[in-house]
Amino acid sequence: MDIFDLLMHPQNFDLVYYCVVGVIVSLLISFLPALHIYNVLGIFLLFVLKYEMTMTGMQLSALAIGMIVGYSILNTVPSTYLGPGDESLSYYILPGAQWTAQGKGFESIILTGIGALGGIIMLALLAPAFLYILPGLKNITTPHIFWIIGTVIAYMLLSEWPKGLSQSRNTWTNFFEGWFYLGVGIVTFFLSGILGFIVMAKTFVPFEIAFQSITPVFVGLFAIPWLITNIINVGPLPHQHISDSVDLDWELLSRGTFSGFLGGFFAGFVPIVTAGIGGLISGHATAQRDGRLFVMSYGTCKTVYYVGSFLLFFVPGLSLTRGGLAWIITPLSPNITLQEYALFVGLMIFSAGLSFILLFPFTRMVIWITKQIDYHIISVVTLILIVPAIYALTGFGGLAVMTVATGIGLLPVMFQARRMNLMGVLLLPVCINMAGYGNYFLELMGLL
Amino acid sequence: MKGFTHFISGIAVATFFPEAVHMASQEHSFVLCLGGIAGILPDTLDFKFARYFHKSEFEVWPDPNKLDATQIASTVAAAVERAAVNGRSTVQLHTMQLGANLWRSYTLWFDSASSEIVVEIGPIVDTGQVPFPGSEPKENNIARIKTSCPFFQPFDKKSSISIMSGPCFEFVKRDDGRVEIVFLPWHRTWSHSLTLAFCISFAVGLFSFFLVPPSLHPDLYSIPRWLLYPLISFSAFAMHLLEDSTGFMGNNLFYPFTKDRTKGWGWVSAAEGIPNFFCVWLSFIFILFNLDRLRWAPDITPPGITSYPAYFFFFLILPVVTMVTLFFKYAREKNASVEEKDFDSPSSSDRDTEVSST
Repeated sequence: MDIFDLLMHPQNFDLVYYCVVGVIVSLLISFLPALHIYNVLGIFLLFVLKYEMTMTGMQLSALAIGMIVGYSILNTVPSTYLGPGDESLSYYILPGAQWTAQGKGFESIILTGIGALGGIIMLALLAPAFLYILPGLKNITTPHIFWIIGTVIAYMLLSEWPKGLSQSRNTWTNFFEGWFYLGVGIVTFFLSGILGFIVMAKTFVPFEIAFQSITPVFVGLFAIPWLITNIINVGPLPHQHISDSVDLDWELLSRGTFSGFLGGFFAGFVPIVTAGIGGLISGHATAQRDGRLFVMSYGTCKTVYYVGSFLLFFVPGLSLTRGGLAWIITPLSPNITLQEYALFVGLMIFSAGLSFILLFPFTRMVIWITKQIDYHIISVVTLILIVPAIYALTGFGGLAVMTVATGIGLLPVMFQARRMNLMGVLLLPVCINMAGYGNYFLELMGLL
Repeated sequence: MKGFTHFISGIAVATFFPEAVHMASQEHSFVLCLGGIAGILPDTLDFKFARYFHKSEFEVWPDPNKLDATQIASTVAAAVERAAVNGRSTVQLHTMQLGANLWRSYTLWFDSASSEIVVEIGPIVDTGQVPFPGSEPKENNIARIKTSCPFFQPFDKKSSISIMSGPCFEFVKRDDGRVEIVFLPWHRTWSHSLTLAFCISFAVGLFSFFLVPPSLHPDLYSIPRWLLYPLISFSAFAMHLLEDSTGFMGNNLFYPFTKDRTKGWGWVSAAEGIPNFFCVWLSFIFILFNLDRLRWAPDITPPGITSYPAYFFFFLILPVVTMVTLFFKYAREKNASVEEKDFDSPSSSDRDTEVSST
């Protein structure tokens, strides 16, 4: 109630306005194909910062809250029907695509939306406890982050099991068949890791746009391979059933939300770990089996990751900057007070409610679009647009990086390995650098 | 238990070595990761190596163009009969792939009451195991073959064979004359033994003895640095075996001195959510506790946990009580509905050996 009073106070009502604007902008951003949210938001905020003199830090924060909450909920829609834009969504591809192939894309989106709402409610409920828990957690983990990322890498690589039919009468044929998929995963991880080292050590884009240097990498690793898959995929999108109800009970809701929250919070708290990886770990930790549970907990995980990592910045006294958005806001909000933290929580709930309401017409609209326009054409047009866009943004250097990244990004798509291994692009260099061995690697690669 | 449970338990075990925590925080060592790797190693060895090198005497290659349940059941029955005569035999069942994303499913059930092998050919399914209604074959789709010897299996449920690679069964004649049906005979044998744990730790110790330099501050170490590596490997490996013992399938702890897997304690199923999360949560709580109490320079570094009694009450006792309560609640509900056996759900043994491959 106090938070409601705080939001309704005339002094703070402008924040609600900025929040609504943020959600609407996020809806439009969701349509921008295959771009990572932080890059898009970075460009948008560069534009907004022109009005820096007329905007307070909290107004800018409200805008960012609306955008990040809205994006985390609404982006599932175009991702389901038009292809995912970032790594966090690649975790959802398999079940999401399966449901869509069965005409249940709408139900899957609503389930993720419910999961996202559950995640926001859990974040809000735990917000007071965070004030006491998180400073201690930060104290304990700070000297150990590098090996925690190391264990994430080890688990990612070790937890992928062989695929294949094993139907040959020859043992070695079966062995190499199974290990082929594992090998592709391991090669993908280390190739993307080496690319990450190179991109972090040598900027290939003009220095004035250096903050976008990772954009061509992500577009190449995740977006273009997905668009190519869409284009060569001959199957039409089946008729999508708009269901009146969702098959869900309280047990499933609580299990999915709980599991997703754990994954999202872990990903939000530990740098470089994304929602996809957090979702994988929490799914294994809670032994998820049910497809509905998976889809719903994915919604929670993604939202808690995006919103939770931003929320960490607003916990007074914590000063934990996680995720691109927090870094953008940092210079404008140097000292966070308890009141601003409470406002964050209120605006977060408001944005989540608004986004969830928008989710229904937005999904119907995207289904309508995919009925009107062949989604192969959408993919082709997107691919045609994305290449000049990257050139305009990052020049020839960016295009070159994007081309190399595309080659690596196609490996898991072509050979059915985990796309998550592509996150080696950040995990490997950051882990090695945090452990203090980065320079040895750079010397070894002739980059120093 | 699931792979992640073993993995994080291994890390938790490693954090009980003060020197390892010190090496991680002060010397940028990845030694704690070794606990996780050793923790998941037994399953890695089984599912990435052992399964490929197991040879079965009988193999079932169903022909998708000429479906015949009798042929499948007869081959399995022949394997059971062979075991009754020779003492042991194994059979590998293969799947039927119809297309890139299409499979013909079938089920196998050992009806111990009537000593019959029951095979039913089911519908076509996609790789997500979603069936296509009406695709079941109209003839030769069910077969019951009686064996001359009685048999038993700890898990009396149907095995569903549909996608990727099929299961393997071993048949072992026991002293009472009955044939025991052993699911996945290559799993949890040599790889899940204390013997292998010792051998691997010995190998790790050899490497670390020659490769790990002595500490610059030997007074800080009660055990030599090189010895940490084999100790962590052994402890994490042994923790895996302990966790697996709580399930149904058990381990073969003293391979090659013992021939068969022992039965597990049967407390929990390896694929159940609550027991897995129970172990994960316990590990997480002890990892944080150890990292905090073993932090560098505790006199001048502020603690992360200000009150250990409060920490253990809120983060250990309360969650554990909640999980135990929920576990028994679900167990009661499950027992109440046990009258209606669901033969299409994964069997206990399937659940015990399920590998997450998301």
